[in-house]
Amino acid sequence: MNWAALKLLFKHEMRMVLRSRRTVVTSLVLPAVLMPGLILGARYVQRQQAIQLDQTTFHYAVTGPWADEARRLIERYKHAPEFKNFNLQELYPTHPDQALEDRTLHFYVRTMTIVEADEAAADDDDTPTLGSQPVERVTGLPGLQVVYRGSQQVALTGAERMVDLMRAARRNESYSIMFSRGFPSHPEGILAMTASNVATDSQISGSNLGRFFTVVLVVWLVAAGSIVAMDIIAGEKERGTLETLITSGAGRAEIATAKHLAIWTVGLVITFTQVLYALIYIRLNVIQLPANFEIDLSAQSIAQLFVLFVPLAAAIAAALLIVSAYAKTYKEAQLHFFPFFVGTLVPSLAAVLPGLKSRSIIAFIPLVNVSVAAREVLTGRPDPLMIGVTAVVMSLTAAALIRYSAKLLTREDIVVPTQHEQAILEGGERLFQRRVFQWFAVMWAVTFAVVTNVSQLQSPRAQILFNEIGILAGSILMIWRYRLNLRDVLGTHRVRWPVWAAVLMAVPAAQVVAVAFFRLMNTIIPTPTEMLRELGKQVAPTGMPLWQMIFFMAILPAVCEELAFRGVLLHGVRNRFHPVVRCLFVGIVFGVFHYTLFRIAPTALLGVILTAIAVMTGSIFPGLLFHAANNSFAIGMDAAGISQNRFDWGTYVAAFGVFFLSMHTIWRYGKER
Amino acid sequence: MRVDPSGDAPVVVCNLTKTFLDESRGTIRAVDGVSFQCRESEVFGLLGANGAGKTTTLRMISTIITPTSGTAKILGHDIVKDPSSVRRSMGFYSASTALYPRLTARETIEFFARINQYPADKVQARVNSLVERFGITEYAGVRVEKLSTGMKQKVSIARTIAHNPRIVVFDEPTIGLDVLNALEVQKAIHDLRSDGRTIIFSTHIMSEAEKLCDRIAIVHRGHILACDTLAGLREATGLHYLEDIFLLYVRGPA
Repeated sequence: MNWAALKLLFKHEMRMVLRSRRTVVTSLVLPAVLMPGLILGARYVQRQQAIQLDQTTFHYAVTGPWADEARRLIERYKHAPEFKNFNLQELYPTHPDQALEDRTLHFYVRTMTIVEADEAAADDDDTPTLGSQPVERVTGLPGLQVVYRGSQQVALTGAERMVDLMRAARRNESYSIMFSRGFPSHPEGILAMTASNVATDSQISGSNLGRFFTVVLVVWLVAAGSIVAMDIIAGEKERGTLETLITSGAGRAEIATAKHLAIWTVGLVITFTQVLYALIYIRLNVIQLPANFEIDLSAQSIAQLFVLFVPLAAAIAAALLIVSAYAKTYKEAQLHFFPFFVGTLVPSLAAVLPGLKSRSIIAFIPLVNVSVAAREVLTGRPDPLMIGVTAVVMSLTAAALIRYSAKLLTREDIVVPTQHEQAILEGGERLFQRRVFQWFAVMWAVTFAVVTNVSQLQSPRAQILFNEIGILAGSILMIWRYRLNLRDVLGTHRVRWPVWAAVLMAVPAAQVVAVAFFRLMNTIIPTPTEMLRELGKQVAPTGMPLWQMIFFMAILPAVCEELAFRGVLLHGVRNRFHPVVRCLFVGIVFGVFHYTLFRIAPTALLGVILTAIAVMTGSIFPGLLFHAANNSFAIGMDAAGISQNRFDWGTYVAAFGVFFLSMHTIWRYGKER
Repeated sequence: MRVDPSGDAPVVVCNLTKTFLDESRGTIRAVDGVSFQCRESEVFGLLGANGAGKTTTLRMISTIITPTSGTAKILGHDIVKDPSSVRRSMGFYSASTALYPRLTARETIEFFARINQYPADKVQARVNSLVERFGITEYAGVRVEKLSTGMKQKVSIARTIAHNPRIVVFDEPTIGLDVLNALEVQKAIHDLRSDGRTIIFSTHIMSEAEKLCDRIAIVHRGHILACDTLAGLREATGLHYLEDIFLLYVRGPA
């Protein structure tokens, strides 16, 4: 590392940042003005609203069979201290509902007979509860209902106050009745109950603050860092200054480190500035803290927080630099920002979750560990060991990310204009390879949404038809849209006969191997019986003739799915991954397309086998035969009542041998590699 | 073309090859075994159509990208083994290299002089001399974003030679410029050669190559098809105009 060059580059980056009016205004000036402005504005509006409501005279009416009794209750309790600002004026409209519509009434009180009250209660969707337990609704009592128009804020407030008033009346009237009937004392006098909190105010406040402290700081760090990060590589790439810089005498490592340091510095400075602003606003009483809020932060606690957050800021800065490096333009970097923001926010919410122990695996999960450790520090229960481990883990994470970001600047596709734009211009195959993931994601989302929400598609036959036709249509659309070469997609070359023989030989063996795999998995993660039953129903639905089952569950899926997954999808990723990763990827996507959780793993396994066959042969047709034969075999076994649980270990070993031999044959006689 | 890798020419390019993996077309040899060497104080031109491999060759020489095979030496520094020294020994200018908009002209030149390790005690004098030489004294304190295109070109060339490199690479420097600004750039290249610098200059404009280059290499599909002085090329082909000579090499005899 050339330290002189690093220092010069860092100074240069900081000069760029400070000269960016947008950065200075959005990160320093705006928060200083906006935050108190918003708080004071909101408080002013709230106060004005309260004054207005207190000065409002609420117009109401009382209707129904025991209206006079209701009027008496209102008159009696509206002078209670808690309703002293509740100004009421009764009106006597002929049609109260019309009066509500005309806004001459804010609300009206409707008294009901027992029958009417029971009917109204039956229509009410809310189940009454006692504590957290639902209780049966009391029937056989006269009722009272406050009718209002919720879209009108004043009416809503008035109605809420009237409900409170009537509840207070009901409570007090009940007590009076009980007392007059000889109840020995005041109903609340049965048991004297108090609660004693042994935690100090500081600990309680620290616990409350600690839950959200990391989230708030991460929001500030990410927001502040991103302002610089978006510009520092993606923006420079777009302007062409990155190429100017990398042709200078500075090394890539120095350039990346200087840029990282700039983001880190800006992130920390802005975060500390925000904390400072918050403290000033608290001091000036712009931000009002809750009663008894008290944070007792010693110098040691501040140092501990510093140790936790400085490496976290470094890691966030490096991650932002990577995001910016991957983006081709400033705009693209902004698009990447939101998922990154959410991605950092979720783990930083760990402190909100109850029961996360500090001395656990948590200490090794970046960001989650900071969130939990910071909560402990603020609660006054710091765990020095965990803080140490957290700081080390975060520092290592930051170092790894910085190293990676420096490596990115040596990648030619990152620093010089790439073939991306060219691909978009040219369209066709090249563009398809960039868009294939989006297509499959959309296909998955559409078929999933339709199948789970359209009631007409709840039968297995309708579901299969819709999914398979949808997948087939999507595949054909992709082939047409990107002018894909159908011969390449399908792999129409001649496949040698040993491959076909091996495929047929592999089918029964694969069934037994899959059962062995499933049983093995079951010993590690036991599958509930209910799930197995459900899986059985989906694989072999009852009430469907055998020929239909063969068509709908073997032939149709084999044709449509092989074209989509081993044809189009595999074609789209053929230059992207190592063949093994390709098989796993396509297999997993295939599994995910089978929606229900317990079907994903077995179908993904089948998908991996089918993709491996397609990769080894360069054609979808051997896989298509395997797929159709495999599904037919399973249906046939089920129809013949052969239980797959009957196999013993000897059968499994033999099946595995046959399966391995088949795969070896397919590999041996597959396409030239 | 034969080159002597151990020779003392300021630029020696030997079998430089660059392949890219294209998603649909497979492996593409953008530059395929290019060799040449440049002499002291000459303008060496790479003449070729778009996509011929000129920019890729120059990007390898200036260490932005690494060659797949082959090598090049700039003032004895290997582009693969010692890229930092290579970059400090040369200036690189292309249409895609831009200036920092928020720096002033003077700051730009100073920054590039320092980052290329020009002696610290001589930086100010160097900056002053460049500001004067390129006639930007009046605008030296103005931010680049506020300068006209012509002024930006001047600042750009000044920053390219801020550290006084002996080798300067110009990759299609006049692309997108109007006639007057293009002429300014051509004049700057001419002046730099007069200073004794070696210049590698790529273009697809025949008149520019004719006017500026001491020797011209015709590049097509990653290969150098011919390399000689304009007179030499005329003699070898029997044609007068460079455009005809170029077409003869690229398309073959009519």
